[in-house]
Formats: sequence, C-alpha cells, structure tokens
Amino acid sequence: MSEATSMPPPLDPRVFDSEEFQKDPFPIYKQLRDHHPIYHDRFHNRWIISRYWDVDGAFQDNESFDRAMYKPDGPYDFGSRHVFGPNILEYGNSDEHRRLRNIVAGQFVGQKLQDFLPMIDQISEEVIDRFIDKGEVEIVSEFASQVPIRVISNMMALPREDEDTFVEWYQLLIAGLGFGGEHLTRGLQARNDMWDYIDPLIKERSKNPGEDLLSRICVAEIEGSRMTVEEVKGFISLLLAAGGDTTEKAIANMWYHLLYTRPDQLQDVIDNPALWENVFTEMMRYDPVVHAQFRYTTREIPLYNDVIPERAGVILYLGAGNRDERAFKDPDTFDIHRDDLHMGRENRSGRYKDGKNGHLGFGIGQHFCMGYAMARQESAIACSKLAERIKNPKGKMADHPGISSPNIDSGGFRSPQDLWMTFDK
Amino acid sequence: MKVKIDKNKCYMSGECYYNHPELFKMDDEGYPIVLVDEINDDAMKKHALEAIEVCPAVALSLEE
Ligand code: HEM
Ligand code: SF4
Repeated sequence: MSEATSMPPPLDPRVFDSEEFQKDPFPIYKQLRDHHPIYHDRFHNRWIISRYWDVDGAFQDNESFDRAMYKPDGPYDFGSRHVFGPNILEYGNSDEHRRLRNIVAGQFVGQKLQDFLPMIDQISEEVIDRFIDKGEVEIVSEFASQVPIRVISNMMALPREDEDTFVEWYQLLIAGLGFGGEHLTRGLQARNDMWDYIDPLIKERSKNPGEDLLSRICVAEIEGSRMTVEEVKGFISLLLAAGGDTTEKAIANMWYHLLYTRPDQLQDVIDNPALWENVFTEMMRYDPVVHAQFRYTTREIPLYNDVIPERAGVILYLGAGNRDERAFKDPDTFDIHRDDLHMGRENRSGRYKDGKNGHLGFGIGQHFCMGYAMARQESAIACSKLAERIKNPKGKMADHPGISSPNIDSGGFRSPQDLWMTFDK
Repeated sequence: MKVKIDKNKCYMSGECYYNHPELFKMDDEGYPIVLVDEINDDAMKKHALEAIEVCPAVALSLEE
C-alpha cells in the first residue's frame, strides 16, 4: 500500500474556510480521499472522512457514529441550539427518534405521495404561468424557490390565498439562516410573523383535525402525550427548511447542469422527459445540495493507521464520497446516462438489486432523508412541466460563476446565486 | 411464530432493520436478517407486526 506508507502532502485546514473551497471543494476532496482518508483537522477540532465506502460505513453504523448533539446520558435542552426550536435533527440513535420519524415518514412516500402529484402538477403550471410570456426567467427566484414551499404549504392545508405571504416569510427565514446581521433580524421577524399566523391554526387543528400534514403533527402522540405548541412549530419549520430549501436548490442545480455543464444532454432530456429522474440522480451524485453531515463518535474508531477518539466530531463528506474513483468511473464527468450509478429511487440501506452504487446525497440509514421520494418526484415534475412549455432554452450569460455554498458557517445548501434562461414559446 | 422474508420481493429499502433493530439487521448485500428465531413475547410480536406494515415491498410475513 504505497498510499499509506509514503508521506502525504500536507493539507492546511484553513482551506475549509476559504472562498475557493465554498465554490470548488472537489480538488480538496480528492486530496483528502487520496492522501488523508482519515484527516484530523486540529484547527477546527474535528475529523474528516471522505471515501465512498468509509462515508457509507459511518452512515450505516449509528452505534458508533451518533448524530445526537448531547451526550446520550447527559442533560440537554431541546430547541436551545436551533433558530427553529426543538426538532428531529437534534436526535441521535434512539427510540424517541424512531417515534418522531414515524409520525410523518409515511406522508412523503407511497400512496400518500401519489395523491399529492396532481397538486404538484397544478402548482408547477401556476408558477410557470407567471413568467411564460416573458421569454426569459431567473430560475432560482421565479421558479425553483416558488414550487416546493407552495407544495408543503398545500400539504399542510394552509389557505391558498395566503400562499404568497407564506413564500415571502419562508424566503426571509432561509436567508436569515446563514448570513447573520440584518438578514438574521429580518429572518427572525418573519419567523415570528409566521408563528403568529400559524398559532390559531395549530389550536384549531388540534381540536378538529383533518387529513392534512399539520393536523397529523398536531395530534400525533409520543409516549402517550401530544407535542407542545412549540414542538409542533419546530417540526413545521424543519419541514420548511429540510423540504423546501433543499428541493429548491435541487431544481436550480439540475437546470444549471443542463444549461452550462452538459448543454448537449439538455436535448436528450427534452426528447425524453423520463430522463429528468436521471438528471436528478446524477445531480445528487456530482454536486449534491448538501455535501456534509456531522456525527459524534461513541467509541474509539480505528481507521487507516489512525484512531478517532470517543466523543470526537466527525464530518462525513458525502460530496467527496460521490466523486470517489473507487465507486464511480470518471467521477468528475456529469453524465445523465452513466451506467454505474443506481438511477431510480433511493433506498435507506444504500443497497440496490441492480448491484450498482447509489449516490450518498440523502445520507443513509437511521437518518436517511424522509423526503427522498417527494424531492425526486417534485423536482422531476416541476422540471418536465417547464421543459414542456418552452422551446430552445439557453443560459442567458455566456459564462456563469457556477454553483457555490452560500457562506462558511451555514454549512450551506449549494446552488447558483442566480440562473437566467431565455426561451421561445 | 417466525418472521419470513421473501427475498424476491424485498428490494432492500432498509425500513425494517432501521425501524426495528431489535428484530432485524442488514446482511452484507442489504437484505434483512431476522435476529429472533422464535417470536413469543408481545413486545417482539409488536415489532414484527409494525415491520410488516412498514415494508414497502410487502416482503415480510408472520408464520406459525
Ligand atoms: C433534494 C432535496 C433534499 C436533499 C438534498 C435532502 C438531504 C438530506 C440529507 C443529506 C439528510 C440526512 C441527514 C443526516 O444524515 O443526519 C436528510 C434528512 C432529512 N430530510 Fe431531507 N433532503 C431533501 C429533501 C427533503 C424533503 C422534501 C423533506 C420533507 C418533506 C426532507 C426531510 C428530511 C428530514 C425530516 C430529515 C431528517 C431525518 C432523520 O433525522 O431521521 N428532506 N435530508
Ligand atoms: S422493509 Fe421490506 S423491502 Fe425493506 S429491507 Fe425490509 S423486507 Fe426488504
């Protein structure tokens, strides 16, 4: 093993805070995979795992790599660390987590999801109607950020006439997550307005629950008692952020890659709309919306001649694993026809009957994304509806600065800042 | 009572072993392995019934 015996070139951990890394982390990922498959980042006091099978292994092994922010046996004040209030993301490997998850997991898959598809169709068409006569669209703000939030607000059966206000609050809220200062102030204001708006709805649905998602969360019982109003709000915010912002970025990134990375494959997709699912899958591999997840070790972990100590913070770079030559041929080529990637629906196990490797973009295992089926369907529907109604789509700018993470601390969802497209009708 | 797995139907969704680690674990390929040979207490039966319900492939069943 020459890799292990020769001295690896040094890697300055401050690179993780650089603008260059936000924009193009892939050369650093390769350096990590090739020379530091287990990297101790002393500067940020954390460890980093980056190869496909190591990231997969850590996701699968929840006993050793726990997500809980608290010590399993110590006190912890739920909600204290999230702007959004208490939510499922704070939980590690536990019965409570499984119970919370099961309250809503069924809402985003199977027949429930099928029932929502006509609504997703309709919302997509309505959003497209707003710009179709202009001959051009800024995809991020006029299209991508409009669809998912409307879909979720419909699933919660919020009044449709308030949808525009809701979209506005949501956008302020998301902008407030990462940027601090003025954005944060406006984000918190939007959150409070949203809470005032939703408070009477929570009381009403707790008394007279319907079939909608909000009612379901209101009346769900955990260990024999319902969630508090605060917990219900935390759950809703989580769905807005985890389900809205991510899917929005997914849609924007799919169009970015077709307009700028592979314009030659855009025509393939226009000719065969079934390929939108491939675009989604390859986007989730090549440069997924979320690149990293955090875990804490519950024991010492020996790996590649090193040992991660107990209760150490570990970054699982799924964005790096997805570009691992050990798992995918020509990993740095975006190709919607690649034959070595499982193209269909994702599995929580990360294992597939076709024997191919899956992308790691939804995580794996205990905390595997609950919205995986919905995000895929929604993205494919919204994109194919748009493609159906336009001809000759083109990126408006000759050059595009590309996809980037928003800033250092947000841990951010990746997307282009803006994405102008021109088209004929 | 025993839990039976129909490997032809199972598509390795992972739902059974991630929701009910008391009763299942993943094998090397991604299929579930049943950890409890004979189901005879109520708690384990509850896990089995919930897993049967949650399996998207209808690949699990209970047999006498
Ligand atoms: C393309 C869009 C999406 C991406 C890239 C994405 C990504 C992820 C990732 C990487 C995780 C794993 C977190 C971990 O391992 O700790 C996750 C978890 C989660 N996702 Fe998504 N997600 C997307 C869409 C959605 C949607 C549409 C919803 C809901 C409607 C959703 C709800 C959740 C929830 C609730 C969790 C936490 C699950 C748990 O802790 O058990 N996501 N997502
Ligand atoms: S839940 Fe069903 S499909 Fe999924 S792994 Fe278990 S048996 Fe297979």
